[in-house]
Amino acid sequence: MDQKRVSRWTTAFMLGVLLVQASPVWAQAGTALGEQTLGRPYWHVFAAYAIVWILVGGWIFSIVRRLRRVEERLGNE
Amino acid sequence: MNEKQIQWSVGVLGALGVATVILLHWMVFFWVPTEATMGVVQRIFYIHVPAWWIAFVGFGLVGLCSAVYLWLGDERLDRAAVAGAEAGMVFTTIGLLTGPLWGRVAWGTWWEWEPRLTSALILWFIYLGYFLVRRSTANPEQGKKFAAVIGIIGVLDIPLIHVSVTWLRSLHPQAVILSAENPMNLDGSMGATIGVGLLAFSLIFASLFLARYAVAGYERELDLRDARLVGAQAVEA
Repeated sequence: MDQKRVSRWTTAFMLGVLLVQASPVWAQAGTALGEQTLGRPYWHVFAAYAIVWILVGGWIFSIVRRLRRVEERLGNE
Repeated sequence: MNEKQIQWSVGVLGALGVATVILLHWMVFFWVPTEATMGVVQRIFYIHVPAWWIAFVGFGLVGLCSAVYLWLGDERLDRAAVAGAEAGMVFTTIGLLTGPLWGRVAWGTWWEWEPRLTSALILWFIYLGYFLVRRSTANPEQGKKFAAVIGIIGVLDIPLIHVSVTWLRSLHPQAVILSAENPMNLDGSMGATIGVGLLAFSLIFASLFLARYAVAGYERELDLRDARLVGAQAVEA
């Protein structure tokens, strides 16, 4: 093997080692807590508040519907 | 409380509740600072905790009214228990749905079968059973009594939910507001916001509870009137 070929393989090996060593850093950079959830927490907050008022509104609606049925029964008499 | 007083109370409590809810939204979205560790998702706290507070008050009323109903047999107590159970179901559902939305961001998971979450889900199923038993019995009076027993059993789960985070290993954080060692361990503005949240939910609950109680009373009166009419027609025939 000539000198040039040995140095090329050594460089490639060194770069490979560096790549393997650096990969966890890249993986973590991609899934860091702030970056991973960026934008999404807002939707969770809005969804949570929407759920509250949809369910409370549903309960109000059911009470009103019962009251209307009572009025209809009174009207039929 | 007579009919007029109930109507007046429903209106006043409802109006105050809506005003407090508007104030709560302003405080949550424009005034209170963002929590340092969890970020914006922590704002779910201001509805999640009041929802559970009302769920426990509602189910507490079910347990109390059911026990006295079984003892005295007063129809009004059964109506109050039903109104409390409906409130409890609505606000438990809110708690069970808003919790995972918070947990997904804070813990990285929607749901864990850990003590507090599991015991809270059991509470929801117990009160689902309360309504199913009421509707499924052929004799309505018997259904009310069976449901009252379930209402009392269900309320026993509430202390278990509360202590589950201290007695058992839990993913859910320890109590912040009702902590025995360090009560109200919150920043001033966060404490004020959760206070307004608790007040807003309490006012809305009080108004709707009274409205539901009143409607149950009207339904009962009409049922009795119909039964009397059917009885009179049978005698005539």
